[in-house]
Amino acid sequence: MTRSRYSGVVRKIGVIFITLFGLLTMTFVIGRLMPIDPVLAVIGPDADSSTYQQVFEQMGLDRPIWVQYFYYLQAMLSGDFGRAILTGSPVVDDILRVLPATIELASIAIMVGVGLGVPLGVYAATHRGRLGDHLTRVITLFGYSTPVFWVGMVGLIIFYAWLNWAGAAGRIGFAYDGMFTSYTGFYLVDTLLSGNLEAFFSALRHIALPALILGLNSVSFIGRMTRSFMLEQLSQEYIKTARVKGLSERSVIWKHAFKNIRVQLLTIVALAYGGLLEGAVLIETVFAWPGFGQYLTDSLLMGDMNAVMASVLFIGLVFVFLNLLSDVLYKLFDPRTQ
Amino acid sequence: MSTLVRYLLGATMLLLSAVAHSNTPSDQLIIALKMNNILSLDPAAATGNDIAFINANLYDTLIELDPEDPTIILPSVASEWDVADDNMSLRFTLREDINFHSGNPLTAEDVVWTLERVLNLNLALATTWKALGFTQENVSSLISAPSSHEVEIKFPRELDPKLVMYTLATSPSAFIIDKQRVLEHEQQGDLGNQWLTTNAAGSGAFSLQQWIPQDRIIMTKNDRYWGEMPTLERIVMRNLKESQTMRLMIERGDIDVAIGMSVPDIRSLEEAEGVDIQTTQRGTLYYVAVSMQNDILANKDVRRAIRGTINYDGINDSIMPFYGIFHQRPVKLGLPATLPEPMYSLTTEEARALLAEAGYENGFTTTIRALNESPFINVAINLQNSLERIGINAEIISGTGNQVYGAMRDRRFDIIVGRGGGGFAPHPDSNLTPLLLNPDNADAAKLTNFQGWRTGYQNERINELIMQAVSEADSDVQNRLYGEVQSIYEEDVGALFPFSQMVNTVVVRNEVEGYLDDPAAMTRLRSVTKR
Repeated sequence: MTRSRYSGVVRKIGVIFITLFGLLTMTFVIGRLMPIDPVLAVIGPDADSSTYQQVFEQMGLDRPIWVQYFYYLQAMLSGDFGRAILTGSPVVDDILRVLPATIELASIAIMVGVGLGVPLGVYAATHRGRLGDHLTRVITLFGYSTPVFWVGMVGLIIFYAWLNWAGAAGRIGFAYDGMFTSYTGFYLVDTLLSGNLEAFFSALRHIALPALILGLNSVSFIGRMTRSFMLEQLSQEYIKTARVKGLSERSVIWKHAFKNIRVQLLTIVALAYGGLLEGAVLIETVFAWPGFGQYLTDSLLMGDMNAVMASVLFIGLVFVFLNLLSDVLYKLFDPRTQ
Repeated sequence: MSTLVRYLLGATMLLLSAVAHSNTPSDQLIIALKMNNILSLDPAAATGNDIAFINANLYDTLIELDPEDPTIILPSVASEWDVADDNMSLRFTLREDINFHSGNPLTAEDVVWTLERVLNLNLALATTWKALGFTQENVSSLISAPSSHEVEIKFPRELDPKLVMYTLATSPSAFIIDKQRVLEHEQQGDLGNQWLTTNAAGSGAFSLQQWIPQDRIIMTKNDRYWGEMPTLERIVMRNLKESQTMRLMIERGDIDVAIGMSVPDIRSLEEAEGVDIQTTQRGTLYYVAVSMQNDILANKDVRRAIRGTINYDGINDSIMPFYGIFHQRPVKLGLPATLPEPMYSLTTEEARALLAEAGYENGFTTTIRALNESPFINVAINLQNSLERIGINAEIISGTGNQVYGAMRDRRFDIIVGRGGGGFAPHPDSNLTPLLLNPDNADAAKLTNFQGWRTGYQNERINELIMQAVSEADSDVQNRLYGEVQSIYEEDVGALFPFSQMVNTVVVRNEVEGYLDDPAAMTRLRSVTKR
C-alpha cells in the first residue's frame, strides 16, 4: 500500500470513529435531557420514595451525567451494552432477536422497490413528457407522500378483512407461534427448514402485505432517482453517437445509458435498504411486526437508554457499512476510478 | 402434467388451506393485548394489570376472591384459615398435594420466602405491604411457617384481618414462588429477580412455554395441576398495539379475546355478530385533582368552584362509556361503606360567584396535566372549556404516564386529570389510603405513594379516622367511620374530585365460554373452554 493510500484508510477510520462517537454522545445527552423518567417506567406511578431511590441508584442515575457516560463507554468497549428495561434482557440479545424480522421484511420490500422502481424510472425517462411519464410521476409522488400508516390500514381492510388474501398482524398466524424451530430468525426460512409448509404459507401471507406497502414506498424513491439519472445520461453526447451509429433503442437504453447509472443506482438502493431497516416503525406498528423500528421506538418512549444507545450505534454502523459499500462499488464499476 | 405444474398446484392448495384456516384452533386461546407495560414477570417487581392477569395463570395464591362477588373469599393453596381471637394474626393451612411446575412440592417455606422477598427486594410491589406496616426489618418475625404446611401472619399493628386477606388474594406480589428453583438462578444476592424477570416459577394452571418480550407469551397446560384441570392446551398472548388491527382480527376470528381496544373500535363492534363485549367494574377512580401547593388552588372556595365546573354528566355520557361509570365518592361503588352519590353537577354561575368571593372575579391562569390518550385528554379538553366559562384560563400539558404522574409525584402540577386510588380489594381502605391519607405533608416526607401527599391535601381528622377504621373489626362501626371520612371530605372540599369509576372492557369471541374478567385483574383462564 502506498503512503497516500495508507493515510487515506487511516483518515477514513478516524472519520468513522469520530462519527460514531459523536452519534453516541449526542444520543446520550439527548436521552438524559428528555423529560422521561426510566425509574417510573420500572416501578410504576404508585411506588413509595424508598423504592424509587433504590431503583434510581441501581440504574446508576445518582451519578453525574459525565460519570454515567464514562461508565457506559467503558462497559460498551468491553462488549457489555447493558440490559434493556423494556425486555429485561441484554440489549445485544434483543437486537439480534428483532433484527431478522426487520431484515426479512426489508429484504422483500427492497426487491419490490427495485423490481418496480427501476423499470418505472427507466420507462418514465425514455418517455419524457408523455402520458407514461406523467403517470409514473403521479404514482411515485403518491407513494412518497401518502402516509405508510394509512396505506397499511387500508391495505388491511381490503386484502385481509374483505378479500382474505393477506394475513393480518404478526409474522405468522398466531396459532403457529412456537410450533416450529427457529434456526435463523427468518420465518420464511425456518418454517421451510422445519418442514412445516402450512406455517410457511402462513408466514408468506403475513409478510406479503407489509413488504408490498413498504416496497411501494421505496418504489417512489428508487423510481424518481432512476428517472433522474437516466435523463442525465440520455442527454449525453455518447447516446446521440450510439443512436447515429444505428443501434437499436433497447440497446441504447440498457447497454449504454443504464450501464452508466448502475453505480449511482446501487448507492441509492443501499441507502433505501438502510432506511427500510431503521424506518419501518409505522408499518411494524400497524402489522404488529416485532422488528427493530418498533424496538427502538418503544425504548425511546420509555427512556430505556441502554437499548436506545445500542440501537443508534447499530444504525450508525449500518450506514457506515453502506457508505463503505458504495465506495467499493464505485471502485469496482466506475472505470474512471480504476 | 409436468413436475412444475404439479408443484404449483400443490403450493396453491396449501396456500388456499392456509387462507381457509382463519379461525383459531379449539384447544388454544389467542389473546391480543398491548404489552408496553409488561416489563417483568417477577411477582415482586411487576406493575400493572396485564402482569397480574398473566401471573394469575402461572402462579397460585393462598386464597382467591370470587370474581362474581369479590367479597367472598375462596380457598386455593390454603384449604382453610383462622383469624386469631385478638384479630392480630392469621393462620393458613396449606394443601399437601401441590407441586410447582418444576416438580418441587409447594410448602409453607415457599409462601414465607415469597412474602419476605417482596419486602427484601423493595421493588414496586413492596409498597402494598409497607402500607400495612410490614417492613424489611419486621417481616421475618411476623410471617412464619409453624409447620411445613402452615403459615402464620402476625400483623405489625391493629388491622382489619379482611384487609390482609384481600391483599393476599388480589396483590400480584402474593403469587407463591418456587423458592428452590429461583435460588438456583440467584445472581449477586438478587433473590432471583433477574431470572424471574423473564421466567416463571409457579404452580398455576398453566406453565410458561415462551416469553418473547414485547412480542408474545405462550403458556401450556399444566398437566399436573392440582385444581380444576384446564381444557385449553395453549394460551397465546400477542402484542398488538394498533386497535383497528385488533378489531379486524377479532371480527374475522383470528383472535379470541381483545384487551385494550379503543372505544371507537369497541363501539363499532356493539352490533357485530360473533363477539361479546364484557365490561367489568374495577376499583380504580378517574379524578380531577388540584395541588394545594398552589396558593390559589389551596383556597377552599376556588376548589369548590372547580368542583362545580366539572361537567360530570356530559363527561360520563359522552367520553367515559367503556372507560368508566358515573361515581363521585373516593370509595368505590358497591361497598356497604360507600355513601350515596353527592350528585355534584356543572353549576357555572355558582362557580363564578365562588371564584369572585375568593377574590378571583377576573379568573386566573393555570395548567391541566393529562395523559395524551383517551379518555384523559378528552376530559382535560372538556374541563378546559368549562373552566374558561368562569374565567380560568387553563393550558393543557399532555404527555406520557411518566411525564404526567412523574410531575404529580414531584408535586409539580396545578390540575391533573388522572386515574388511581388502588381499589383492588373490596375494602374502603384500598381506596382511601392511597387517595386521601396523608400522614406527613412536608415536602421532605416524600410520601409519593399517597395521592393525598401528592396533592398536598391533609386533614388530620380524616387521617385519624382512616387509621381507626382499618383497625376496626366490627363492620358496622367500621362502615360508620368510613362514612364519616367521606362526609368530612365532601364538606372540606378535598383536593381530588372523582368523576367516574373505572371499568375494564374486553371483547371476546362467542366461541369462547367461561371467560370471566376479574375485578382485581386476576382473570384466570383455567375454566375457559372453546366451542
